[in-house]
Order: sequence, then C-alpha cells, then structure tokens
Amino acid sequence: MSGLKLRNVKKSFGAVDVIKGVDLDIEDKQFVVFVGPSGCGKSTLLRMIAGLEQISSGDLFIGDKRMNDIDPAHRGIAMVFQSYALYPHMTVRENMGFALKFAGRPKDEIARRVDEAARILELGKLLDRKPGQLSGGQRQRVAIGRAIVRHPDVFLFDEPLSNLDAELRVHMRIEIARLHKELNTTIIYVTHDQVEAMTLADKIVVLRDGIIEQAGSPLELYDDPNNLFVAGFIGSPKMNLLTGTVEAGGIRLADFPNDLIPSPIAIPAGTAVTVGIRPEHFDPTGTAALDTSVEIIEHLGGETYAYARGTGSNLLTIATDNNRTLKTGDRYQARFNPASLLVFGRDGKRLR
Amino acid sequence: MSNPLALIGRIATYLLLTVAAFVSVFPFLWMVIGATNLSADIIRGKVTPGGALLQNISVFFSSVDMPRILFNSFLIAGLGTALTLLVSSLAGYGFEMFRSKVREKIFAGLLLMLSIPFAALMIPLFIMMANFKMINTYQAILLPTVASIFIIFYFRQATKAFPHELRDAARIDGLKEWQIFLYVYMPVMRSTYAAATIIVFMANWNNYLWPLIVLQTNEMKTLTLVVAGLTSAYTPDFGVIMVGAIFATLPTLIIFFLLQRRFVEGMLGAVK
Repeated sequence: MSGLKLRNVKKSFGAVDVIKGVDLDIEDKQFVVFVGPSGCGKSTLLRMIAGLEQISSGDLFIGDKRMNDIDPAHRGIAMVFQSYALYPHMTVRENMGFALKFAGRPKDEIARRVDEAARILELGKLLDRKPGQLSGGQRQRVAIGRAIVRHPDVFLFDEPLSNLDAELRVHMRIEIARLHKELNTTIIYVTHDQVEAMTLADKIVVLRDGIIEQAGSPLELYDDPNNLFVAGFIGSPKMNLLTGTVEAGGIRLADFPNDLIPSPIAIPAGTAVTVGIRPEHFDPTGTAALDTSVEIIEHLGGETYAYARGTGSNLLTIATDNNRTLKTGDRYQARFNPASLLVFGRDGKRLR
Repeated sequence: MSNPLALIGRIATYLLLTVAAFVSVFPFLWMVIGATNLSADIIRGKVTPGGALLQNISVFFSSVDMPRILFNSFLIAGLGTALTLLVSSLAGYGFEMFRSKVREKIFAGLLLMLSIPFAALMIPLFIMMANFKMINTYQAILLPTVASIFIIFYFRQATKAFPHELRDAARIDGLKEWQIFLYVYMPVMRSTYAAATIIVFMANWNNYLWPLIVLQTNEMKTLTLVVAGLTSAYTPDFGVIMVGAIFATLPTLIIFFLLQRRFVEGMLGAVK
C-alpha cells in the first residue's frame, strides 16, 4: 500500500505562505498530475512530499506512515528533476547505482537492478558514458532509470519534459505513460503543461496560489470545472469566456448585445455572469447562435479554427467543423447548443 | 589582407603582444642565464650563457641545507594549500547552499576584511602567536592563511553554478550533507579546486613577510626566505642567487603546467 494522504499541509517561507492548506488523497498506483501556472506552489508541494522542503504544518502520510520528519531517502520515493540532476562525474551506470551503493546493497544486486532498468529504458549501450556525452532525451531516460533502480513506492516527477523539444516531449510523454503501466506504482507528476496533465493523469490536481482549485479525473475537470480558473486552464485551445448579464429569457453578452442567448440554468435576472464555451462545442447544428465577423483563420487540416469577434474586442475561438471555405472578413453564425454553456458568477465560482 | 587598416591593427596587436611576452619571459630567461654566469659577469650585464653553472650549484648546496629547507617549504605550501582549500571550499559551499537572514551580512563583513592590509595585521598577529607560544612553529605559518577570504569568495562564486538539484538528488539518494560535499560537490567542482590550488600554492610557496617574522631559526626557514637571505650577504653572489631562484620557481611552474587546463576551466566556471 503506497497511497498518499495530505492533511491541511502548509508551507511558509518566512512571512510568505506558499502552500496554504492542502488536503489530498492519492490512491495506490494512481498517476496524479499537479498542474498550475508558475508560482502556484506545485513544485514546492512535490518537494515537500519528497522531503526536500520542511512541512510547516499539517501531516503527510505515505502508506500509513506519517512522513513529515523522515529523511528523503527513507520515504520510499524517487524523484526525477527538470534539469535531470545527473552526477556529471559518474557514468550512467554509476549514476543509476549510486543510491543502492550508498544503501550498502551487494554489488551483484546493484548490477542486476541497473541492468533491469537499462533494459526497460533501452539504455544498454549508454551505460558507460558520462551524462555530458548524452542528448537531452537520453539524459532524461537515465534520470528516470536512476529512479526506477530504487524500486520506490512513489515516483515524483518535477516538470521532467520541460527541457526537451516539442517532438521529444511527445515521445517521452508516451514513454512515461508506458512506464506507469509497466511499473504499476504511484506517480506524482508536476507540470505547467495542461496537455501533459490531460494525457497522462488518472487524477489532475489544479493548483493556484498554494491552494487546490479542483482535483479530479481529466474529463471531470474538462466537462465540469468548479470555477473560472480551472475552466480556463484545462482544455486546448482555451475555453472562450465572455462576460454578460442575465435578463428575462436569457443572457445578454457584452460583446454580443444583439443576441440574447438562452441560459442553461435558472439564474435570477440582473445577475452578472461569465459564460464559458469551449471552441470545440460550437456546432453548426446548434439551436443558439452568436453573430460574429471572422478575423483570422487557422487551417490545421483536420480542423479549421476561426478567431472571430462580436462588437467588442475579445476574440472567440471557434472550431468550425472543418469549414474550409471560410475566409477572413466573413460573417459567421457561431452556433451552439445552450446545454454546452458553463456559467460562472462574478466571484469566479460555477453556477449550477 | 586587403584592408590596410586591419593590417596595421594586426601589426600593432602583434607588437604589443611581443612586448608583453618579452616583459613576462625576460626575467625567467635572465634567471636561467644568470645561473650559468659568475656574479661579476652578471653585474657587468652579460646576457649570454656562461660556464659557471656547476660551480654556482655546488656553492648553493654547500651554503644551504637544501633537504631541510625543501621539506619546510613543501610542508608549509602543501599542507597549507590542502587546509585552505578544505576550509574555504566548505565555507563557500555553506554560504551559497544554505539560506539564512544574516548570510549576506556576514559575507559582506568578510569581504570588508579583505581591505585590511596585511601590514596592519602583522603586529597583532605576532603578539597573538607569541601568546599562544607558537613563534617559530609550522602552525604559526599555517593558521593565519587557512581561512582565505579571497578563496572563500572564489568558491562561493563558483558554487553559484553548482546546481542545487544535484544536492537534492543526492539527498534523495540517501547522502548526508558531508557526503554530498565529499562525493558530489568536490568531484563536480574539481576545476575550481585546481585553479584554487595553483593560486593558494603559489601564494603559500612565495609567502615571504609573515614567515620572515615568525620563523626565526635556520632549520625552520623556507626556500623563499633562504633565497632572499642570500642577497643580504656583504657581497651577494648573484650566480648562486639565480640557482636558488630557479629552485624556488620550479614547483609553482610544475604545478601550473600540470593543472593548466583545469585552471582555465576553473576560471571560466566549473560546471558545464
């Protein structure tokens, strides 16, 4: 059993509160992704789990054991760093076996475990090289290998793909997903890239300013965000967010004063709201419409995105169901089903 | 070379470099040539090699207890360098790795002390050593140099390039702080250590004023003191002095050439 429990965990640096009380349950073998903008505290939270930062208050349990005051080496965790943090003066083999050597394991066991990790990550030919002689992707694999060798209960990844180019990042993302299946252990993964979060996670934890905004499965967060922040953060391209006011019979958007759109829920007239609609939820067969003029067209081949506006300055992103004839300057009826709208109050909370 | 201005610039550069090279190499040349000439020839300004080398060497060895003097010099320079590197790199590591409210204030205080000339410290230091009954001992030479502020500063600057994540990784791998220092920091920073070795070894080897004050008997003296002592004779024998100067220069030259590549790396920044 190597689930994790965080109970009202807090962290302050002097007078600055970085983590302001986090409660979280992570199940055994779950792939959990902490995601959020830079400075939201996601890396700090990971480092607190690792034992690299002291927990100011609250409790951390790994399995059933309270780990607040346990050394990083004895928490049953292994960590992969953004900069890989490989020891530059050691070969790949020595890097991977270093922790075991320090734990006083016999040589043949170290060799066996290093070879096993090298096989999983296809590092066999690189074992006698130094990190300086490896490419970024290879270094990252060695860093993962160093973690695997320790047979940890929990893997911690701190933005492991940020230093790789786009193509390699996609490749390594798949590798990590495969690894999770193969190793079958708990993984906690920090990223600011919501695509990584969506593709890898069993459970996404969205953080902002040291608090959890929402935690749930990728599709829960996508379909049913609790607030404006999560709605805007999850999903690519981003959700369109438009301010408006509720009137009798619908919502009047500031950018579309001529269109009264039906509200998906009952809200008292006069309420100021923000309406969210995802680009891919525009649907030519929808019952409601916004009258827009197209500013920019993006042909991606499989899909065509139109960036269009009403009377205001905000650009709407619209997936046009691959409408290839659309041109800049065209009028476009952006149709949608009212049920796909999400409505948020002025405080940012979702109105249901 | 089509552009005449560029040509002139190149010529000027080479002229300047030639002059600089001459200025730096000539003393060595003169030292080596001088060692082969009699004192009288040197005074006359002879700059061609002569035949008195063996004679100068034998006079030098008969007037100086070379094994003892070399032992003193190597002990003081070697042990002094090792201790200085250890203490100063520990301090540099500590200053850079650990957060503290007073860290920068203490460091600024240290740097401020660099501005106090040794001449002002000499007498209080001597009195202190006298009180500790350490006059004419190796400790008296070693202790004041071990915590070198300049080398602490140098190590702190170099440590800025040492990735904190390496320390984090080592902590997760189960290393204690001193093990991180020994097994990760020191090997990673070896270029910095090499550069510092040259600087500190040269400073210790050539150290003159302080040993002159605290070392009082002949069997405690260092090579630098002995060579300097040769000039104070009533009629200094310059050929012999040149031989002594060669012996005094050789170790630093050897160390420099051995560590030259690392020295350049260390000066450029150790961690790539």
